[in-house]
Amino acid sequence: MKTLVRLEKVKSEERDSREVVAASDIFRAQVSGVCNLTIFMESHLPMFKEKNLQLEVVTELIRGQHPHLKGVYKNKSQRVICVKNMDPEDILLHATRLRNALGRKVVKLRTRHVTKHPSVQGTWTTAMKY
Amino acid sequence: MASRRLLRALTKTTPFLFRNSSSRRSLVVPPFSHANASSTKPASAIAQWPHLRYFSSDKHSDEDDNSEDDCGDDEEEDYEDDDDDDYVSASGGKKAYTAEEKEAEAADIGYRVVGPLQKEDDVFKPYEPVFAVVQIGSHQFKVSNGDSIFTERLKFCEVNDKLILNKVLLLGSASQTIVGRPIVPDASVHAVVEEHALDAKVIIFKKKRRKNYRRTKGHRQELTKLRITDIQGIEKPQNAIKPEKPSKPAKKEQEKVAVIA
Repeated sequence: MKTLVRLEKVKSEERDSREVVAASDIFRAQVSGVCNLTIFMESHLPMFKEKNLQLEVVTELIRGQHPHLKGVYKNKSQRVICVKNMDPEDILLHATRLRNALGRKVVKLRTRHVTKHPSVQGTWTTAMKY
Repeated sequence: MASRRLLRALTKTTPFLFRNSSSRRSLVVPPFSHANASSTKPASAIAQWPHLRYFSSDKHSDEDDNSEDDCGDDEEEDYEDDDDDDYVSASGGKKAYTAEEKEAEAADIGYRVVGPLQKEDDVFKPYEPVFAVVQIGSHQFKVSNGDSIFTERLKFCEVNDKLILNKVLLLGSASQTIVGRPIVPDASVHAVVEEHALDAKVIIFKKKRRKNYRRTKGHRQELTKLRITDIQGIEKPQNAIKPEKPSKPAKKEQEKVAVIA
């Protein structure tokens, strides 16, 4: 019998971190069967739940699918990680990564500095005189 | 080789010399000038040698050769084991940092973790026309209030943590500029950790043409996104940019009053 795990997580992508902190994050996990994921469920998931009270963790049994973690973010995007044949420590690492991320699309970075006000003292031009 | 043959001959002809030898297997064989002569006259050769090569007693020459081979193999195996152990410990084990080590390493990179962001904290302010050049690790950024920055993964902080960036190289406002030598003392930039994420995958493809060599490797860099909240150490202008929101409801109220009237 194949086992399945789903981890749903909701997190705000808004700039205002007040929303991030106060968001009702949902973190669901769906597990069944005897596999490393069940070991993770018994050993690491309670501690994960305690550390992240803002997340709603749900476990579900879905037959016929590989065990996976599913993160649902506040910007309505989903991230699915298959954890078939992974050690419980690796599963915890992936769950932590899901929890740390914002849910935005993974695209190559254009710039490392994103700003709406690029200049304070005025943009330099060739005609500028001090 | 000649010395080894000579010693084998010695052990056969004069075993009494090697009976009280120690078990150590040092391979110190002092050179001697007349090799050919000494091969025929072992007694004179012995007189010339200050040291003797010691073998364990009551062993035949074959066993001595085997012991030499085993000794060499053991030494090689020991070296290999050491290398393996070092490699395993470096790659597999995670170093457990103490609080002091964490602070020291973080300060070395250029930041200090203050604590987690609380709901009561009113950290996010409207834009102020003040900028700072801050250094994190080996990268420098020109930041202002409300900017977001992608840096290398900062180890000792989690999401929604408040940070203070200490290495401020330059502060500037519309009327004033403070240049650090190299850093400005008593200046700080406050930031909040927004996320720890992985960058998009970069495929590293190596090929040597006509040599049947092709390698593909994927790499995802770990990044941290910081949101800059405050810059301290410079006088900020008093005339702050007022947001437009209060004016709109005031206008609406005026319209409603006019309609009712």
